[in-house]
Amino acid sequence: MSEPAISIQHVTKVFPIPFKRERVVAVDDLSLTVEPGQVYGLLGPNGSGKSTTMKIVLGLVTPTAGKTEIFGCDSTRVASREQVGFLPENPYFYKFLTGFETLQFFGKLCGLRAKKRDERARELLALVGLEGAADRRIGGYSKGMLQRIGLAQALVQEPRLLVLDEPTAGVDPAGSREIRDLILGFKARGITVLLCSHLLEQVQEICDRVGILHRGKLISEGRLTDLISIENQTELILENASPELLAEIAATTAASGARLVGQRKPQQNLERYFLDVTGGNQ
Amino acid sequence: MSRITAIASNTLLELVRQKVFYFMLLFAAIAIGVAFVASGMPFAEQFQVLKDAALGATSIFSFLLVTLATAMILPKEIEDRTLYTVLAKPVSRLEYLLGKLLGVYLLLFVAMLLMSVLFFVALFAREQLVIAATLKDYGPGPDGEAAVAAVKAAAFNWNLVPAILIIFTKSAVCAALTLMLSSFATSWIFTVMISVVIYIIGHVQPIAREAWLAQSGVNPSSVMKLFLGFTSLVFPDFQLFNIVDEIVVGNAVPGWMFGQVFALGLGYVFIYTLVGYIFFSNREL
Repeated sequence: MSEPAISIQHVTKVFPIPFKRERVVAVDDLSLTVEPGQVYGLLGPNGSGKSTTMKIVLGLVTPTAGKTEIFGCDSTRVASREQVGFLPENPYFYKFLTGFETLQFFGKLCGLRAKKRDERARELLALVGLEGAADRRIGGYSKGMLQRIGLAQALVQEPRLLVLDEPTAGVDPAGSREIRDLILGFKARGITVLLCSHLLEQVQEICDRVGILHRGKLISEGRLTDLISIENQTELILENASPELLAEIAATTAASGARLVGQRKPQQNLERYFLDVTGGNQ
Repeated sequence: MSRITAIASNTLLELVRQKVFYFMLLFAAIAIGVAFVASGMPFAEQFQVLKDAALGATSIFSFLLVTLATAMILPKEIEDRTLYTVLAKPVSRLEYLLGKLLGVYLLLFVAMLLMSVLFFVALFAREQLVIAATLKDYGPGPDGEAAVAAVKAAAFNWNLVPAILIIFTKSAVCAALTLMLSSFATSWIFTVMISVVIYIIGHVQPIAREAWLAQSGVNPSSVMKLFLGFTSLVFPDFQLFNIVDEIVVGNAVPGWMFGQVFALGLGYVFIYTLVGYIFFSNREL
């Protein structure tokens, strides 16, 4: 059996408040496992402990108690980060570097050799659609471009695990769609993704499994389909159904003792409509 | 090692693209201005004033450059969150800290190289003007040659090179000290202020210690010895770096003294970097 991509075991993080006897429990006895190849959504309101959990997984913050591992390697060890790519919320990079130089820099940090680094930088710029902005300084990038260069740097060493904190925050619908498609592409390539997002609709679209944090505690966790399915209801979507057929179905339903809860025209979502009218789907 | 050099070259590039070298214009103005103002003095004094001013300016500019550049590194990276993306890669905090310090040292090296070149060019230009005037006064012949030799001896001596290296070492100590302070400080202004205070204490405390020991006229107790040892460790003894003044006035400085000052500087850099790493490795980001 393969090792979990992320294993969090009874992790607690307490921040003391300076000059006071009070303390803040940011994460409270958290345990969860992310299997390889999964897209895992970590949800929760502001201050629920999501970012602290991510920082603990990345070794940026040391837990007060408990242990985290990445592919079996203790996440406090530098070696554990060889397998991880991280996109922080509102990513800031060195504004004086161009997009190409940024990827070169992060490639160097990951120990890539010059030729490989060069190839990888060009390949990733093409992947995130920033070939045209490769020689522009990051300081002049838009919010969406920053997110995309952030994704590219996270992928620079071909990691097996991606940790993404609000990857589409502040990005327009077309850019958001592109990022979502990229994440689905990573999933298809077997890359494990830990995703933190407030955009629940998007999480629903791409995550296999979710965990909900509230005040540092994991209050719900499981397969997305299991968590949100209404077990005693069934949805039928018919095309070109005549009023007579609908009446017949309603009568049969009533005769069987079941209850017809609702009947309505399905709607496309606002995002798809927006993309259709602005040409963002082309 | 490649990670340290990657961070160091990135730090240097950042500082260069922030156009920190514009201060060189001010340095050039000082060197040219002093050479012009001193032109009415006898030649030996002219050269001494020029050397004094240029080496003094080099010392102050390099201190300000490294202190300001180093003090801003950590707070700025934490505020901009660039630190997270770097440390989320397989980079240890020690590698990060050493890379940043090395980047500042590269900047210091380039800045001091430029200042030294400007200084030597100004000195050489002044020397040529004085030689031309001397030859005009004495004319060709043994008297003229002797006068030119005296001018050359007063203008340049090889001890100026180690003097510049000593200024480099002193600034390197200041950079390590500032980095140590910024490893636990939350604001760069606090770091700069404390660095300046320690810089001043470093110049004053050896004098105060000597004066106190001379005044008390007794052997200090073991507790006092411990306290004096501790203050010497925390506050670098910058008086030891003042052998540059001896060089400027033309006094011979033995080689072992240079070696002692370099070794002391290296020791301070090591201790401050180590303490800085201990603070930084325990810091919550």
